[in-house]
Amino acid sequence: MRANLFIIWSELIKNLKFLLAYPVVFVFWAIFPVFWFVPFILQGEAFVGGLQSQSFAQIAGTPEYIPFIVLGAILNSYVLTSLYGMGESIRREAYRGTLDYILSSPCNKAFILIGKALSESISSTMFAISQLLISILFFGLEMTLGIIMPVILIIILLILGLYGIALVLAAVSLRYKQAHDMAHTLEYVFYLFAPVRYPIEILPIWLQIIGKLLPLTYALIAVRSIMLLKESISFVYMEILALLIIDAIVILIGFYLFNWMEKRTKTSGTISHY
Amino acid sequence: MAKRFTKKKHRGIFGFLRRERKEERQKSEHSDVTVALDDVNIKIRSGELFGLLGPNGAGKTTLVKCLSTVLIPDKGTAVVNGFDVRKQTSMVRASLGLVIGGERTLYWKLTARDNLMYFASLYKMPRKQAGERVDELLGMMQLSDRADERLEDYSTGMRQKIAVARALLHDPPVLLLDEPTLGLDPTFSRQIRSQIRELSEKQGKTILLATHYMEEADQLCDRVAIINDGKVVAVDNPNKLKEMVKETELVEIACYNPPSGIDDSLKSLCPNADIVTLLHGDEAKGTPSRIKILGGNAEEHVSTVIDALRKKNVRISNLNVGVPTLEDVFIKLTGAKLTEGGEQ
Repeated sequence: MRANLFIIWSELIKNLKFLLAYPVVFVFWAIFPVFWFVPFILQGEAFVGGLQSQSFAQIAGTPEYIPFIVLGAILNSYVLTSLYGMGESIRREAYRGTLDYILSSPCNKAFILIGKALSESISSTMFAISQLLISILFFGLEMTLGIIMPVILIIILLILGLYGIALVLAAVSLRYKQAHDMAHTLEYVFYLFAPVRYPIEILPIWLQIIGKLLPLTYALIAVRSIMLLKESISFVYMEILALLIIDAIVILIGFYLFNWMEKRTKTSGTISHY
Repeated sequence: MAKRFTKKKHRGIFGFLRRERKEERQKSEHSDVTVALDDVNIKIRSGELFGLLGPNGAGKTTLVKCLSTVLIPDKGTAVVNGFDVRKQTSMVRASLGLVIGGERTLYWKLTARDNLMYFASLYKMPRKQAGERVDELLGMMQLSDRADERLEDYSTGMRQKIAVARALLHDPPVLLLDEPTLGLDPTFSRQIRSQIRELSEKQGKTILLATHYMEEADQLCDRVAIINDGKVVAVDNPNKLKEMVKETELVEIACYNPPSGIDDSLKSLCPNADIVTLLHGDEAKGTPSRIKILGGNAEEHVSTVIDALRKKNVRISNLNVGVPTLEDVFIKLTGAKLTEGGEQ
C-alpha cells in the first residue's frame, strides 16, 4: 500500500515540478480567469439591463444570473484541464521517450494514472480558486464555511467522472497519437449541453437527454442548489447518486479501454510512437 | 519468437478517394509487412554477458522490447528469469533492468536525483530504500556532486550514465542493454563498457547487450548472436565465430575517395576471392573507406588491388593482411555490411 502511495506521490510531484519549470503558466492563471467569464457577465448585463432577471428566476430558481454563470465557469475549468490534461500527458510521455519505461515497469498503471489525474486536479483547483476569489471580490458570490465541505465533495465526484472520460482520451492518445481534437469536441459537448452558461431547461427535451448523461450537469445543479438556493446536501441526493453512477461507469470504461489500447499498440509496435 | 510490423500505406493526399487496382493490391500484400523477428530462438545462461550483434534494422531493438514486455510477440514467447513474458508480465518487469533509447528517455527538466527517485517508485521501492539506492548509484556513476542539477545541463555521456543507473535501481538479476554506448565519445563509451563488464563479472548479472559495434561485442561478450533481417544466423563465443573465417585470408585496404563501382571491378580482378566488399567511410570526419577481400590468395590480391587503385588515382592510407574480425564473420554469413560508417 505504501509503495502504491509512493507511486502516486512521485507522479504528482513529477508533474508539478514540470509545471514549475515553466513559471509563465502562473501569469496565465492569474489573468485568464478574468477573460474567461467576465465577457459573459457583461453580455448578460447588457441584455437584461441589470444584475437580476425575473424571467431567469423562473427557470433557474434565482434571479441572480451572475453567480450562476460564475459557478458554471469555475466547474467548467475542471472539464478543460481534465479533458486536455490526461491525453496530452500520455502523448508527452511518448514524446519524451519515457512511455516505454513507464509501461515496462512492474507497478500497476492505475496508480500512475491516478497520480497524473491528481496533478491535473491541482492545476484545475488553483485555476478555480483564482476564479472564485475574483468572483467573491467583484461579483458578490458568497462562500460560507458551512457550504465548503459539501461543495468539495461534489467537485471530487465531478473530477472522478471527468477522469473516467479523460482515461478514454488517454487510450485514444495511445492508439492515434493525439487526442486534442477529440478533447476539443468533448469540451464543446459539455459547453453546449451542460448548464454551464444557461439552465438545461432552455434546451429542447431531446437535447436535455444528452445533458443528463454528463457528470458536469449534476455537479452544477448540486453546487448551485447549495450555494445559490441555500439548500442542504440532502436536498441534492439524486444528483449525488447520478454522479456516483456515472463515475463508476466511465471509470470502468476508461480503464478497460486504456488496457485494451495498450495491448493493441504493443502488438502493432506503435506504443512509443508520437 | 516472431514479430511482424504492418507498414502503413501512404497513397497521397487524395489517395483515399482512389480505388486500389488489383495489381497494386497484390504487389503490396508482401511489401506491407516488415518481418522484424523471424523465428528467433536463443538461450542465454544465467550470469552470461550475451551479445546481439547486427546492423540497424536487424531486429535487435524489437527483440529487446519483446523481452521487456514493451511489445507483444506475434508468435512464440520468451522466459526471462523463469517468468513468461506473455503470462507473467509483472514478474518479468520486476526482474529486468532496461536501457533502451538512451538519453532521450529521461526527464530533462528534472534533476538526476528526481529522475531516479521517480523511476524507483515505479519499481515499488519504499521511499527510504529508494533514496539510499539513488545515492549509491549516483556515487557509482561519479555524479553525486551533480545529483541536484537538471539533466538538461548534463552532457550526453552523463545522461547515459543516469540511464544505466536507472536500470540498476532495483538491482535486477537481468539487464537488457540496447546500444548503451550509441552516440558517446570514446571516454564515456569506455566507462560504460567497464561498468557493463563489472556488472557481469563481479555482480553475476545476466546481460543481453544489443549492439552494432563489433569491437564492443568482441571485447565484452561471452557469446554473441549475429542477427540480420530478423534472423539469428550464428551463435557462439566470439573467438569460435572468428574461426569460421580463420582459414580465410583477409586483405583490408583503407583508402580515400574510391570511385563508385570499384568493388565490382575488383571482384572481376580477384575471381578467387569469396567476398569483395567496399565499406564507405566518413571522409569529412577523417574515417577512410575500406575495401575488404576475404578468401583466395592474399599476396596476389594485394598487388592486384593496389595496381587497380593506383590506376584510378585512389589514395591508399593503410593496408592490412591478417586476422578476421566479427565484422568479417558477419559479412561472410550474411553478405551484408555490419555498419555504414565503419567501426567506432
